[in-house]
Amino acid sequence: MRLVLGALLGLLFLVGLGPMLWLARAAVTPTQNTLREPLSLWSNPLDWANLYTAWARFDIDLHMFNTVVIAAGAWLVQIVVATTAGYALSVLRPRYRKAVTGIVLATLFVPSVVLLVPLYLTVLDPPLLGTSLVNSFWAVWLPAGANAFNVLLVQRFFDNLPREVFEAARMDGAGPFRLFWSVVLPMSKPILGVVSVFAVIASWKDFLWPMLVLPDPAVQPLSVRLPALRSFVELDVFLSALALSSVIPIALFLMFQRTFLRGGGLGGAVKG
Amino acid sequence: MSLTRTAEPATPPPGPPPAVPATPGPRRRSPRSWARGGGPACLVFLLPLFLVFGVFSWWPIVRAVVMSFQRTNLVSAPTFVGLDNFAYVLSDPLLGTAVTNTLYFAVLSLVFGYPIPLLAAVLMSEVRRARGLFSVLAYLPVVVPPVVSVLLWQFFYDGGSTGVFNTVLGWFGFGPVGWLQDPVMAMPSLVLVATWSAAGGTVIIYLAALTSVNPDLYDAAEMDGASIWRKVWHVTLPQLRGILLITFILQIIGTAQVFLEPFLLTGGGPANSTTTVLLLIYDYAFATSLGGDYGAATALSLMLAVFLAVLSAVYFRLTRSWSSS
Amino acid sequence: MISAPRNRALRNPSPRSRLLPATTLALALVATACGSDSDTAGEDGTVRLVVSIDAGLEQGAVDAFNERVAQFEAANDDVTVEVQEYTWTATTFTAQLAGGTLPDVFTVPFTDGRGLIERRQVSDISGQVAELPYGDSFNPTVVSAGTDDDGNVWAVPIAAYGQALHYNRTLFEEAGLDPDTPPTTWEEVREAADTISEETGQAGYTMMTSGNTGGWILTSMNYAFGGRTEVLDGDDATATIDTPEMAEALELVRTMRWEDDSMGANFLYEWESINQDFSSGRIGMYVSGGGNYGNLVTQNAIDPDDYGVAALPLADHPDAGVLGGGDLAVVRADAEPEVVDAGVRWIDFYYLAKLTDEEASVLDARTLAEAGQPVGSPQLAVFDQETHEAKLGWQEEYVNVPLEQMTPYTDAMFEQPLVNEPTRSTQEVYALLDPVVQAVLTDRDADVAALLAEAEAAAQAQIDRE
Repeated sequence: MRLVLGALLGLLFLVGLGPMLWLARAAVTPTQNTLREPLSLWSNPLDWANLYTAWARFDIDLHMFNTVVIAAGAWLVQIVVATTAGYALSVLRPRYRKAVTGIVLATLFVPSVVLLVPLYLTVLDPPLLGTSLVNSFWAVWLPAGANAFNVLLVQRFFDNLPREVFEAARMDGAGPFRLFWSVVLPMSKPILGVVSVFAVIASWKDFLWPMLVLPDPAVQPLSVRLPALRSFVELDVFLSALALSSVIPIALFLMFQRTFLRGGGLGGAVKG
Repeated sequence: MSLTRTAEPATPPPGPPPAVPATPGPRRRSPRSWARGGGPACLVFLLPLFLVFGVFSWWPIVRAVVMSFQRTNLVSAPTFVGLDNFAYVLSDPLLGTAVTNTLYFAVLSLVFGYPIPLLAAVLMSEVRRARGLFSVLAYLPVVVPPVVSVLLWQFFYDGGSTGVFNTVLGWFGFGPVGWLQDPVMAMPSLVLVATWSAAGGTVIIYLAALTSVNPDLYDAAEMDGASIWRKVWHVTLPQLRGILLITFILQIIGTAQVFLEPFLLTGGGPANSTTTVLLLIYDYAFATSLGGDYGAATALSLMLAVFLAVLSAVYFRLTRSWSSS
Repeated sequence: MISAPRNRALRNPSPRSRLLPATTLALALVATACGSDSDTAGEDGTVRLVVSIDAGLEQGAVDAFNERVAQFEAANDDVTVEVQEYTWTATTFTAQLAGGTLPDVFTVPFTDGRGLIERRQVSDISGQVAELPYGDSFNPTVVSAGTDDDGNVWAVPIAAYGQALHYNRTLFEEAGLDPDTPPTTWEEVREAADTISEETGQAGYTMMTSGNTGGWILTSMNYAFGGRTEVLDGDDATATIDTPEMAEALELVRTMRWEDDSMGANFLYEWESINQDFSSGRIGMYVSGGGNYGNLVTQNAIDPDDYGVAALPLADHPDAGVLGGGDLAVVRADAEPEVVDAGVRWIDFYYLAKLTDEEASVLDARTLAEAGQPVGSPQLAVFDQETHEAKLGWQEEYVNVPLEQMTPYTDAMFEQPLVNEPTRSTQEVYALLDPVVQAVLTDRDADVAALLAEAEAAAQAQIDRE
C-alpha cells in the first residue's frame, strides 16, 4: 500500500506540479532554447531580464488589479445568487421548486459558445438598465452569476443540512431572513469555500467573454491582455508574463485549499 | 433618473416587511409551511436568481432558439426560414462523423476518465497524513493556463521519435506513435488530455464524499479483519453511490459538449477524426462564414440540448429507485 | 470529469489571423484613451469616426499613430476621430458584427473580403474610392480581392503578397545543399526535402493543414500546378476540386510523405505552430506568404542567418500562378453615409499614404524600425510597379531584414503571374480541403480520387447555399 501511495504521489507531482515548474523555467529561458530543447531540465543562460520586460511590456500591475477586481465581483455575484437561490429552493421549498430547478438545470444543456452572440446583444442593450454594459465590469460580473452548477451544488448542500436546526430556530422566532443570515449561512461556510474557489479560478481563466465585453485595455484582465499582445512579443517574454500572472491564482488556491479541500463542505453537498 | 433607482420588477409587491420580530411572538408558522405556495419572502430570495438567469441565460437562450429558425448576416434584419437550418444541419455529411466521434469520446472518457479519479480518490482517502498535499497536486492541472498546457502537450505528443512519449516508448523498443497525428490514436490522445485537465475537480469531490463516510462502518470492517480492497468494495463504494450517479450524468453532459481539447490540439483533424458536435457548431458559427451560418449553429445546439435534456430525464427516472434506496 | 464552471477560455484558432500581424503592424494603439463613449456624433456636429488600432503595440508605435490621428483631424476639421483597439478573432468579430460595435474602419485578410462582400457585411465604398486620385490605378489582380461581382470596390487593398517557399539555409548547408540555389521546380523541392530529411533528420518539406490553412496551402499548390478551384460564369460558380492538377499536387504530397518520408511527423500544423517549428530549425521548407519573415522574428526570434525564401515553383502549365493574399481596409456595414465618407478619407490618409506619399512612408518605416519591428520584408505592389519601387526607395535606410537572403524570391516575384484566392465561399472551401490534405498525410491508403470527388460535391453545395 505504501508503495502504491508513493507511486501515486510521484505521479501527482509529475502531472500537477510539472507544468508549473516548466512554465517557471520557460519564463527565464530564451525563446530559441525553449523551442529547441523544450524539456531540458535547465537552460544555461538564464534570462532574468525577461521577467522585468514582461512586467513592463504587459502592464502587469494594472491588469493584475483588473483581474482581482473582476474575480472579486464575479465571486460575490455567484455567491449571492447561489446562496439565496439554494436557500429558497432547498429550505423554503416553494411549490414551484421543481420547475425552477428544472429550468436552471436546463441551462447546462446549451453549449455556451453558441450563446456568445445573443448574450453579447443582451449586454449591449440589457433590459431594465437601458445602457450598454460594455467596458463595465458588470458585463462580466452579472453573467458569471448565471452558473447552474453553483446553484445545484449549494442546493444539494442545503438539502443535507439537519432540518431540526431550522425547526429550533423557528421556535426561537426567527423569520426567513434571520434564518438565512444567522443560521443557514454560518453553517454553509464549507460549501461557500468550494464555490469560491470554482468562481475565482473560472474568472481567472475566462478569456473569450471578457475580451468581447471589455474592449478598452484599461479595464482588461490579464487573461485578455496576454493573448492580445501575443503577436507582438517574443515567446519567452510571453511565457514570462504567463508565469507572473499564474503566481496569484496559485497563491490564492494554496491559501484557500484548507477550506476547499478539507472536504467537509463537499461532503455535505455530494453525499448520497 | 429617479425612475431607475428602484430596479425591482413590478410584480409582486414586496408586501409587509417580514422583519425579525423583537420579541418571540405568538406561534409562527414553520418556515416550510410559511413559504408553501411561494410566499413573498421566497420570491425575494429567488429574485437574484430570476434576474441574473433571466437576463443572462434564459433570455439569450430564447434568442438563440429564435435564431435557429432564421437566416441572418447579423447586419440586416433576419428572415424566417422555417426548418431550413435544421434540414441543412441534418443533411450535412459531417454531422454523422461528429456524432460518432462525440460518442466515441464519451465512451473512452467513461472507460478511462471515470474510474481514474475514483481510484485516485479511494487511494488518497487511505492517506493519513499530508492528504492536503495530494489534493493540491491533483487539483493543480485545473489551474494551468490553456496556452501553456497546449504547448506542453504538443511537446509530449510530438509524432517524431524525439517526442517525449515516443522517447519513452523507444526505451522499450516500440516505434514512434503518431499520437495526435494519427487518425486512430488522435481521439484517445485527446481523452488523456481531457482527463488530465478535469480529473482534479472530480477527485476532490469524491474525496470529500469519502471523508464523510461514517467512520463507524470502517471500524466495523476493520474489526472483521477485512482487507483494504474488501473494505473499499463493501463500505466505500456503496457510500459513494449517490455522488457516482450524479458525476456519471454530469460527465455525459460534459463529454457531449467536448470542445476545448479538439479545438486547441487538433482542430478536428486529422481528416475529421476528432471533429465533435461542438466543434461543428463552432465552425458553423465562426470558423468559416463569420456568422453567416449562425442559424445552423443554433439549430444544432438546440437539437443537442433537447437530446441531453431527454437523456437526463430518462436517466434520473431509471435510477430514481436505486439512488434513494 | 465534472464540467464545473463553464470554461470560455478559448484560443484564437488563427486560421485567418495569419496576415494581420505582419502587415498591419503600424496601426498603433492607444493604451488608455480608447473610445468608450456613447454612440452619438462628435461634438460641434462633426462626424465621429472610430478607427482601429492593433492591440498591444509598443508606446512608440502608439504615439506615432496618435500623431497621424491629429494630423488627420487638422486636415479634416469636420471629423472627430476615436481610436478603438481591434484584433481580428473569429468569435469577437462575429459578435461585434451582430452588435454593431466594430470600428467604423477596420482591416481584414483578402481571404475574408469576398465573403463579407457577398453577405453585405461591409459598406459599398466604390463611389468614394473612385474619386481618390489613384482610384483607378490599383493593381487589377490585387484590387479584385475587394470587389463584388460587378467590379465595384467594397474593400481597399492596403498590402499584398504572394505565396513563397521559405527554407532554412542552415539545414540546407547541413544537408550538403547550396542555400543560394534553392529549388525552382517541384521535383527539386521533392529531392531537396528527401536529402534534408535523410541528412539532418528534420522534416524536409511540411505544410499547414489545420484551421482552414490546409485548404489555403493546397489551393496554392493547385494554382502552382495550373489548377483552379472554381469556374465562374456570370453569377454561376462551379466548384472544380476534382481535377488533374489538384490530383497532381496531392500525389506529390503523397509521394513525399509515404515514399520519401521527408515530411516529418507533424501533420496538424496551423500558421502559428508551423512558424514556431520553422524558427526552431525543425523544418527545411514550407509554403507561406512572402512577407512572413516579420512574424518569425517578432514572435519566434528566428536566427536571421537561418532564413531564406525562394519563389514558389510553378509547373510548366499555361495557367500556373502564385496565389496572392494581403489585407483589405473596409468600412462597417451599418455606418451612416457621412461616416463612410470620412472612413474612406481615413483609409486614404492612413493606410494608402504609406504606399504613395514619401513623408508618411518614411514615418511608418522609422516607427517600425525604432520599435524593433522588421522593415523590408518582401511585398507585392498594391498600385503599379513604379509606385512600389518609389516606396522601397523611401524606406531603404530603415530596412533591417536580411535582404540578400531573400533575393531568390525578390528577383523572381514580380515576374510570376499572380492569381487571386477563390472568390466563392472561400473559407468554406478551404475548410473542406483541410481533411483532404490531412487524410493524404495520415492515411497511407487514402483514396485521393474519392476524397476529391467528395470535396467537390460538398464545395458545390456550399457555393449553392450562399
